[in-house]
Amino acid sequence: MNWTAIKSIYFFEMARFFRTLAQSFISPVISTSLYFVVFGAAIGSRIQEVDGVSYGAFIVPGLIMLTIMTQGISNASFGIYFPKFIGTIYELLSAPVNFLEIVIGYVGAAATKSLFIGLVILATSFFFVDLTIAHPVAMMAFMVLTCTSFALFGFIIGIWAKSFEQLQLVPLLVVTPLIFLGGSFYSISMLPPFWQTVTLFNPVVYLVSGFRWAFFGLADVPIITSLAAIGGFTALCLFAIWWIFRTGWRIRS
Amino acid sequence: MTAILEINDLKKVYEGGFEALKGVTLSIERGEILALLGPNGAGKTTLISTICGISTSSSGSVFVDGHCIEKDFRVTRSKIGLVPQEINLEPFETVMNTVRFSRGLFGKPRNDAYLEKLLRQLSLWEKRGNRIMELSGGMKRRVLIAKALSHEPSVLFLDEPTAGVDVELRKDMWNIVAELKATGVTIILTTHYIEEAEAIADRIGVISKGELLLVEEKSALMKRLGQKQLQIELQEPVTALPEALQTENIALSGDGSTLTYTYDTQAKRTGITKLLADLAAAGLQLRDLQTEQSSLEDIFVGLVQEKST
Repeated sequence: MNWTAIKSIYFFEMARFFRTLAQSFISPVISTSLYFVVFGAAIGSRIQEVDGVSYGAFIVPGLIMLTIMTQGISNASFGIYFPKFIGTIYELLSAPVNFLEIVIGYVGAAATKSLFIGLVILATSFFFVDLTIAHPVAMMAFMVLTCTSFALFGFIIGIWAKSFEQLQLVPLLVVTPLIFLGGSFYSISMLPPFWQTVTLFNPVVYLVSGFRWAFFGLADVPIITSLAAIGGFTALCLFAIWWIFRTGWRIRS
Repeated sequence: MTAILEINDLKKVYEGGFEALKGVTLSIERGEILALLGPNGAGKTTLISTICGISTSSSGSVFVDGHCIEKDFRVTRSKIGLVPQEINLEPFETVMNTVRFSRGLFGKPRNDAYLEKLLRQLSLWEKRGNRIMELSGGMKRRVLIAKALSHEPSVLFLDEPTAGVDVELRKDMWNIVAELKATGVTIILTTHYIEEAEAIADRIGVISKGELLLVEEKSALMKRLGQKQLQIELQEPVTALPEALQTENIALSGDGSTLTYTYDTQAKRTGITKLLADLAAAGLQLRDLQTEQSSLEDIFVGLVQEKST
């Protein structure tokens, strides 16, 4: 394992994040505050409680998930697409590194960035709602796993994309709707039975449910199913990346 | 000298069926400068990209210092530095950070003393804190060289290092290459300028349409390629050449108005002074003079024809 190379990629990518640290902080704090105002105050005044949890607190796990999933994808996809776009990928391809080292470097940095933003949102939430975390270790584990798996997914999108438009396509058209329809802001038990069944085909449901369990001990689906879903998704992404580097698809002519 | 790079029957066929390399076999000696000369699309960049791991080969083998580039890719790639043709750099990074990143990427531990020496050698030390986007084109090319040398490679590939740069910078590049050679680095550079190959190479390889047509010592090749023609337009046409001018190097055009003198630019004496004296002695008045050198394209055509006969 070329640990020096992994460290170099990781810190080079993190440097990009630290260059724009203020924006990285301010943007999630403002958008989270807006969500609390709109969902928590406006809608929350009508819903009051969901399964014994105040609506304002209930949406916190969903909000964090929404952000770390989209941030994980955008950080990792941009991280690998940018060298492709400006041509510096030649250096990566001619360096004595294998696919795993490249992935650990890029995906590790992207996951760290989204984890960091997730924690900022969690901290912001404490200003708006009374929040107690039932299973803090499980909460952190879910967060790390989600950041990593969505960064892996973003990495694939970054390799697949041939333009900046394509880079935005999957996150906007597929991921965001899945997150909004995945029970981020409601319990799926609030839906009519037919839509409850349909929703179970949405993989995000399992992640949000597991994460919410870590906060409140409440879940739409069994926790083991949530873990299996996130584990399966991570394995699928890893397999896809292994195949990409083995065949050189869209990176090596 | 022992070979540091062995290329055996290397072929590259792209998905559409285009054959970019048609079985290239080449051996490069340790410490030499080899210039690969060829027109655009000849396969120069494909050859370099395949050796460096950016492209995959269709068949054949490449060994760097006795190690296979596929099986021992970690060893071979750490011995190679590549300066690409395009200026591919992170615009927002500083010079020092981008060079430090390259060294780390190649698995070498941080060594700021070496990087300082390298940046000073390339006149980049004063610019180490500048962002890449603030540098001139020439400076950016130097940064590319610094990145390629950051992990102390023993083989350096320079892909058209002076394409599109001004004369002054071109000479600067040649000096840098000479300095690198003095430190023992083996250099393979691609170019389509004959004069560049002439100025810095020990050996010259000519590549065209994916085939390596020849590899020769520079002096031998330049002698072969160094033929030039002097066209002399006469004031009044003549019916035949005066006796003093009847040599195999001089030809008279059909209408008797132009003399063509073929000479060797590499020879000690080109014979032009004597020719002009002979013309004056024969009482011929000159209207105009011009010289022509075979273009690289002509030379390639000649080489291809020579190979096929």
